[in-house]
Amino acid sequence: MATDAVIYPAGLAGQTYLGWPATPAVQSTPGMSATTAMDGTNRGQDRSQSRAPETELIREAQAGSRAAFDALVRQYEQQVLRLALHLTGSEQDAEDIYQEAFLKAYRYIGNFRFECSFYTWIYRIVTNLCLDQLRRRKTRREDNAVIVDQSGDEIDLLASVSDDRSFSNPARELDRKLLGQRIQQALGRLTPRERMVFELKHYQGLRLRTIGEMLNTTEETAKNTLFRATKKLRSHLADSR
Amino acid sequence: MDCEIAHDRIVAAAYGELPDEQIHELERHMAGCPDCHKEREAMLALKALAEAYPVLEPSPNLIARSRLRLEEALDALPAKRWYERLGQRMMNNFASLQHAPVAACLLLIAGMGAGVVGGYEFAQGRAARNAVTAKSPAVPPEVQPGVTPAEIANISSIVREPNTGRIEVRFNRLVPQQVEGPLADPSIRQLLMLASQDSASPGVRDDSVGLMAAECRAGHSCKADGIRDALMVALRYDRNSGVRQKALEGLEPYVSEDVRVRDAVLEALLYDSDPHIRTAAINILEPVEADTSVRQVLSSVADSDQNPHIRTVSRQVLRRVPEIQ
Repeated sequence: MATDAVIYPAGLAGQTYLGWPATPAVQSTPGMSATTAMDGTNRGQDRSQSRAPETELIREAQAGSRAAFDALVRQYEQQVLRLALHLTGSEQDAEDIYQEAFLKAYRYIGNFRFECSFYTWIYRIVTNLCLDQLRRRKTRREDNAVIVDQSGDEIDLLASVSDDRSFSNPARELDRKLLGQRIQQALGRLTPRERMVFELKHYQGLRLRTIGEMLNTTEETAKNTLFRATKKLRSHLADSR
Repeated sequence: MDCEIAHDRIVAAAYGELPDEQIHELERHMAGCPDCHKEREAMLALKALAEAYPVLEPSPNLIARSRLRLEEALDALPAKRWYERLGQRMMNNFASLQHAPVAACLLLIAGMGAGVVGGYEFAQGRAARNAVTAKSPAVPPEVQPGVTPAEIANISSIVREPNTGRIEVRFNRLVPQQVEGPLADPSIRQLLMLASQDSASPGVRDDSVGLMAAECRAGHSCKADGIRDALMVALRYDRNSGVRQKALEGLEPYVSEDVRVRDAVLEALLYDSDPHIRTAAINILEPVEADTSVRQVLSSVADSDQNPHIRTVSRQVLRRVPEIQ
């Protein structure tokens, strides 16, 4: 089972190219680690080398070892939080999804049969929880245009974005901020499933086949969902001008 | 390629999901289709726009907070009891077995087959042991309807069947028959000779030897390789003294001419248990009393025979023939 992952330090995601991306902005290479260290180092090699120890950790966790489960949590917690944070736009919601996802994993790890990678299994739990969250928001018609932290304060997206263009231009900064809000609004108008597929493909860099497995569907269906999502986004962004 | 397909492929290519050969085909299409070329530009612009909402790495505080909250929740969970862990382990093992249904079925079939064969062998062994330890009846069972043990000539083989425990016995059956004819008839004489050696009844032997001896005394075809041999065998080996007596009487005419008869008579003189036969042997040896071997036997008998009468007779014979012939 290929482990699709994205490794890009914060800010380098989505660098544009004039032509097709010779090296796509989101790398989908088997064996690449989904864990990105804060210093941006690539842990792909570590992940492939730790495959066997991960199996042992899983077995130990299945046997009841709390320490083994804690080790598994540490391997995947950053990816889970990153996904949940970007999808929900709220640290509190991301924390709730984190809590719920790993409690479920702890409760049902005995049912893990190594039919897929543990990464896929965890992500399946997380994406389902995120979909539930998105559906609840649709029902409540909540639409976070910005990311807020636990205290409710808006998180300055620009502070985490590395940009070779000058930060000294306030007008440009405002433009970027407004653009970010427009993007979030457009994303909020997608269906939960379209939102999830676009998130996993564009922002998380997973392969469509992996996305299909996580969402319990086929690669073809995931591809069509992506087509619809991009069309809708272009339409919404065009309307919001 | 139509433009609708091209638009979908533009999206796939933008995310690296289009095979190389389709990229080439798409490039050729876009070279001649301005609308699709614009579509690609729009897709790339969307990708750039989407990066205006960047993915943030979770802050250390968020990670720590989440981790702490999770640990508190895990600590609050009750520990799994031993039977829950055991049940879970059994379910895992069962689930593992489900991934090899063919192997599981084969294992089951092999186990059932081994059980059937083993049970069958055990049952057969027990039945065989019961058959061996069963007591034999006091009365010999009838072999076959109408066949009595007396009619059985001999048992040629005994075979025990392993599967059924049955015993197969092969035997030769005596078939009583009757033949009549003159004593000169070769078949009658052959049966007489057979009867003198093989019959279990001393009376039958006595009759056969008596008849053959009468023939020999009468000088009727008492050939060396025929009746005469049968009489010598009877004289040497028959257990019945009466039969031996008659055989000796039948050989009397041939003591002078047949050395083999003389030796048989001398053996009877030396070793026969019946003193009457030994005494008769001395009388029969009269024509050859001067024979060296005869005199030697007479000397031995005169010295060592248990019977005093035989010793006396022997001495009388020896005194009668002083010189050696």
